[in-house]
Amino acid sequence: MDFNSIHQRLLAINAPGVLSADTPRAADPEDKADKGRAGEAFVLIDRSEALNFLLAVRDDAELAFDMLVDLTGTDPDAEDEDLWLNLHLLSLAHGHRLAVKAMVPKANAVVPSMVAAHMAAHYHERECSEMFGIHFEGNPDLRNILLPDDWIGFPLRKDYEFPKEYHGVSCE
Amino acid sequence: MSEMNAPTELPKPKTVEIPETARTLPSGEREFMLDVSTSDLEINMGPQHPATHGVMRILIRTDGEVVTGGQVHLGYLHRCAEKIGENVEWLQYLPYTDRYDYLSAMNNNLGYSLAVEAVMGVEIPRRATILRTLCAELNRIGSHLVAFGTYGLDIGAFTPFFYCFREREWMMALFEKICGARLTYSYIRIGGVFNDAPVGWLKEVERFCDVFEEKWQEYYDLLAVNHIFVKRTADIGVISPEMAVDYGLTGPMLRGSGVDFDLRRDVPYMAYDEICKAGVFDIPLGTGEKGTVGDCWDRVYVRLQEMMESIKIIRWCLGVIEDGPVIGDIPKVIKVPPGEAYVGIENPRGELGHYILSDGGKVARRCRVRGPSFCNVAVLEQLLPGTFLADSVAIIGSTDVVIGETDR
Repeated sequence: MDFNSIHQRLLAINAPGVLSADTPRAADPEDKADKGRAGEAFVLIDRSEALNFLLAVRDDAELAFDMLVDLTGTDPDAEDEDLWLNLHLLSLAHGHRLAVKAMVPKANAVVPSMVAAHMAAHYHERECSEMFGIHFEGNPDLRNILLPDDWIGFPLRKDYEFPKEYHGVSCE
Repeated sequence: MSEMNAPTELPKPKTVEIPETARTLPSGEREFMLDVSTSDLEINMGPQHPATHGVMRILIRTDGEVVTGGQVHLGYLHRCAEKIGENVEWLQYLPYTDRYDYLSAMNNNLGYSLAVEAVMGVEIPRRATILRTLCAELNRIGSHLVAFGTYGLDIGAFTPFFYCFREREWMMALFEKICGARLTYSYIRIGGVFNDAPVGWLKEVERFCDVFEEKWQEYYDLLAVNHIFVKRTADIGVISPEMAVDYGLTGPMLRGSGVDFDLRRDVPYMAYDEICKAGVFDIPLGTGEKGTVGDCWDRVYVRLQEMMESIKIIRWCLGVIEDGPVIGDIPKVIKVPPGEAYVGIENPRGELGHYILSDGGKVARRCRVRGPSFCNVAVLEQLLPGTFLADSVAIIGSTDVVIGETDR
């Protein structure tokens, strides 16, 4: 299935939390400031419905997104109020992919854990929570995975300040 | 004299009373069972341990010989690749990609280049596409050779390791001729490849293929069907197909469990669509030939067979390669239009994904790397409990983990 038919199917089965679809577009020749958007299409969902969305698209026979390939976050800008939660799904049966995005406000970065739908989410959630400070509610073991346990701050946020020292060792 | 050094009395051996239930042997001696109490023991494996293939630390809890729990600790080789990706220019990041899965740097270059090209929308010359495919497959052979050889080491078979490194040495010499580096190639660039193959190089690759096909039989005879090896790996660490999909396992880990899925065929990129239509290669699957589907032996055998499939693809590439430019029309300073893309390719270990976000500038906004090893090691916490301590090394080795990639 291509992206449009996937999107149509999502609307047809009333998948929880689907907000809109974003497809690449060419630049508007009238508007000099508009550069268009390149790359690939994605579906925007409501973050609080993320788990239900994954369960719905996993269990639907036509979509059958049975593998959660990637779960990560993005901080587009230090000034932005939202972080993004990026999910990448793959269907082994049909060989199609879907990129999913959800807005997560920095002030209240809480998302339901997706471990109940895919065990693959577990390590990704641990990484995402230490790097972006997104809390995955319901994850049984949200310890740091790549960073030391006592690391301060969320390194992949754009407003992250690099530490001046670590355990008495100067970093300058 | 400090308290530590003060002579202390040794504890006296306990005297055991002979219970009435004790059996009398013909010799007149009494025999009975002592009440043996065991307790859980936590063993720390790594971060410096040859069987962890790098600096991975695993906490193993055992009850006697039986493992009752395992906890993987990553991060000892974390080098902030994703943060660096947000701070250096597009092309400057390329050498960093070499360093996450250092056994298959060509594939990493390819994954990153394809992701950036997906946002840029540039056209790749035909010769570059074929050279990329050829190098990626040649590197897959080299990577599987290390996986196979060191797995023998883990189990206790020393010799196959040297056989594997003999052919890998030639593969690295071939890469040295084409790009000057033996391990960290940075050969596949955004827009194509950075240099054409030197004169006679393709001929030598053909010779490599001829020799390798002969040598492959040696690996098979020496290790894969060796009776001791089969005893150590068959029926050990069985991953069911459902579990493999649930944990997001990819590559030989997934196919070893009998799930028929390969990105090269099912989500084709570059010239693989054409190659699959021509029916050039098969996708080996775990069949449970020596034990159960999805055991360690299946995973190892899938890797072994994939080497031969790669040889077929290389031969196809050598047949269709034609003269032409090797890099597209790419400016010196690359600017990527605003947009985002996720591209996953079939790395020797599984799906290597790059998620690229650009705001139109010279530097990425987000450069996410989805390493296959990172997802593949997650299954260990489920696999280890219930196995014997000696088998845990066989199971860890069969995941073919490269720590440079789990930690990035």
